[in-house]
Amino acid sequence: MDNTMRITYKMMTSKYTTNLNNMSTELDRLNTQVASGRKFAKTSDDTSSAIKAYQIRRDMSKLEGYQNNIGHASDFLTNSETNLDDINQTVSDATVKILQGKNGTQSPDTRKVIANELRVMQDQMLDTLNSSVSDSYIFGGSNTAEKPFTVEAGKLFYNKVDVDSLADGSAELKKLATDSLYVDVGLGMSFDAAGVVNKNSVFNYSTPGINIVGNGKTADGGSNNLYNLLGEIATEFESDNYSSDKVDKLLGLFQTASSKSNQVTTEIGSKTNYLNFMTDRYDAQELNLQTRQTEVEGIDAAYTYIAFQTQKVAYQAALQMGSSIIQSSVFDYMS
Amino acid sequence: MSSTFLGFNVASRAMEASQATINVTGNNIANINTEGYSRQRVDINAITSGGGIQKYATPQLSTGLGAKAVGTTQMRDPFLDARYRSQNAEASQYDKMITGLSDLENIFDEAQTDGLQTELSNFISTLQTFSETPTSADIAQVTRTEAQKVTQIMNMYANQIKDVRKQQVDDLTVVVSNDINAAVKSIADLNDKIRTEEIYGNTPNDLYDQRNSLIDELSGIANIKVNRMPEKISADITVDRLSISLVDKNTGNSIGLVDNDLYNTIKLTDTGDKVVLSSLNPAFVPNGTGIDSDDITNLFSDGSVKGYLNLINGEGAFADPADPADPSVEENDSKGIPYYQKTMDIFASKFADVFNKINSIVDPADPASKPLFTSSDGTAVTAANIQVSQAWLDDPSYINTTNNPPDPTDLIDPEGTPGSADNVLRMINALTVDQDFKKDSDSETTFFNGTFNEYMTGLLGDVAMDVELNTNFASTSKNVLDTISTSRESVSGVSLNEEGTNLMAYQKVYNAAIRYFNVLDENLNTIINTMGQ
Repeated sequence: MDNTMRITYKMMTSKYTTNLNNMSTELDRLNTQVASGRKFAKTSDDTSSAIKAYQIRRDMSKLEGYQNNIGHASDFLTNSETNLDDINQTVSDATVKILQGKNGTQSPDTRKVIANELRVMQDQMLDTLNSSVSDSYIFGGSNTAEKPFTVEAGKLFYNKVDVDSLADGSAELKKLATDSLYVDVGLGMSFDAAGVVNKNSVFNYSTPGINIVGNGKTADGGSNNLYNLLGEIATEFESDNYSSDKVDKLLGLFQTASSKSNQVTTEIGSKTNYLNFMTDRYDAQELNLQTRQTEVEGIDAAYTYIAFQTQKVAYQAALQMGSSIIQSSVFDYMS
Repeated sequence: MSSTFLGFNVASRAMEASQATINVTGNNIANINTEGYSRQRVDINAITSGGGIQKYATPQLSTGLGAKAVGTTQMRDPFLDARYRSQNAEASQYDKMITGLSDLENIFDEAQTDGLQTELSNFISTLQTFSETPTSADIAQVTRTEAQKVTQIMNMYANQIKDVRKQQVDDLTVVVSNDINAAVKSIADLNDKIRTEEIYGNTPNDLYDQRNSLIDELSGIANIKVNRMPEKISADITVDRLSISLVDKNTGNSIGLVDNDLYNTIKLTDTGDKVVLSSLNPAFVPNGTGIDSDDITNLFSDGSVKGYLNLINGEGAFADPADPADPSVEENDSKGIPYYQKTMDIFASKFADVFNKINSIVDPADPASKPLFTSSDGTAVTAANIQVSQAWLDDPSYINTTNNPPDPTDLIDPEGTPGSADNVLRMINALTVDQDFKKDSDSETTFFNGTFNEYMTGLLGDVAMDVELNTNFASTSKNVLDTISTSRESVSGVSLNEEGTNLMAYQKVYNAAIRYFNVLDENLNTIINTMGQ
């Protein structure tokens, strides 16, 4: 028995329509890809690529957050540095004035004028210490809401604590000196068992003011911070029993205290450097992610366009052939 | 001695047979595009001269009495019909699954649009900004707005899932009432008509075609089995008794849908959690096997109805394990609408729980003393009812930025100053570390372990994989169905070449018969008018 199939009219037409439909579906798919530049229009078009793409998007969003935080910390540090420079400038201006006033040829009146100038500088210094950026006080540690430095009875207070009372090595000083402002810059933020943030896993950008001005008392019970010392020198200049030796001693203390602010400036510099390094790293990572995203989500334009053209030629050929096949049967040749 | 006019009858019958064939050819051509039409053929028998048995007669030359058209037969292969119907059921199930699952996928899809994954990432970014300036009132407000976006998108997902469910249930209701109930009734009516015609000895080909078309359609809807039992009406009349039953191919359990002129009716009940299909005609219950109750939902193991059931009743991983003793109560374990509903609810409840705990950290004795997220109606938090708590809506700074409550009098404690954002960092951390998602609040079984964002990616991956899988199944299944369809068409379809050839051939036969008639006529003329002259 012969096993060739009967080929019927309907068989040919329905096969033809099915094939045409398949071809135009493929044509449409390639056309959409070329037009949108995307490998998949919805997840199920290519689930594994799409899942990868979502991962990349998450990573990119994370990086963006880190970069944002780095930007904030960097701005904050730059502001801290500028203000610190102002303080250093005030200190050196004051030193010049003090040396000028200490000169033995100065009359008591001139000394008084210099004392006045020193008091103005004292106010300047206080202002700078209380400077703020977008409503946040820079030098207050985590106290960003209220002015960190206040003056009561001519004495400097930091976060409502008398700076004189903060002796070196005391628990209170330690607390204030290590007070921090954190942001997550992608160091693997973690929390210890007690739920306290692990300090190495976040970035601290705060410069507590107590580290700038000096603290505690000297061996003979006098103040040991820039503001109070400046005040005391001014008082001495105004005094009728002016003693050049006393000013000498106070100036020595003043200069020792000012070395602290220089030290802080260096610290800020190294922090800024670290942030720059992180920014560069994240920029490189972001570039990598963008490249990967294009690989995962984007199409190979040349390849897809060629595939589209090939498909178009096949489709047109099918259309042409169909019209000649479907028409003819024995009826076309019956007389 | 044969009669003088015998030949005329032979010629007349030959013309008649040719005429019938030409007519059937015409009918075939006319129906070339008619859905469900089966090619017909005229059955022509040769007539022999019988009955010449006489005791003393001498054997005579037997010439035969020509041909007679005795009837028309449909060209159809019942084996191919059965294969077509079972394959049709499978292909239709996959087709249905693709449409429904694609609707679900569109809800969660983020390939080209923004959804919950994007909003979660935005929420993290906002929290990062908030951690920079936790005392800023406007950023606190932005944070709350972003949190609202997250809850609103969860609400939207829940609503859209509900809409898909409603659509599916409505569609299934129509399928049950129109495509099953109306179809089985029509088939039973046709059975009745066909039986009457057959008893009268007729061959109602067009009714056969109608019935076969209806059965073909029904085969795409449910896993049916068609049975034909020869039924003897009288000594020389036997007709086919056609019955259709719904047979679960896995268990072998079944229930009757059509038996000759009787038919069953299926009823759909929507309990809200799932739909139940039951048999309404109790008379058919004894016809079934393995059925104790009217609930025949699990008998639908194939066809588009099974696709609908997978979507509407599919509990996925939440389905209770099967009870081998009573398969009729087994829960559907496809990943359907209930699965995605529950998955979203777990997400919402975990999200609220984690954030409420962090915000209430001040008072560990009451872990939900300062909730950021609550349900809109006081019940347990679900994706549909999660919202930003009223307290937070009233006051944007209700969100706790630090472990200890800010105390303006104690600025020496850095943890207690408003500038520290340790709690915001805890929230960021909660969104970026792996969470343990449980199947339900009192279950110890981990359902998913990963970040909130990964959970949503996983969910979308689930549904997308299912769409991809069913698309592949459907394409394979459709190919097989096309092959069977082609084989069927090869048997039953009309070929213009054949019909054209037949037309020419029988026209020649017709002409030849007339020619034969003329010869006989001339012979007779010779005998009557010129013989013996």
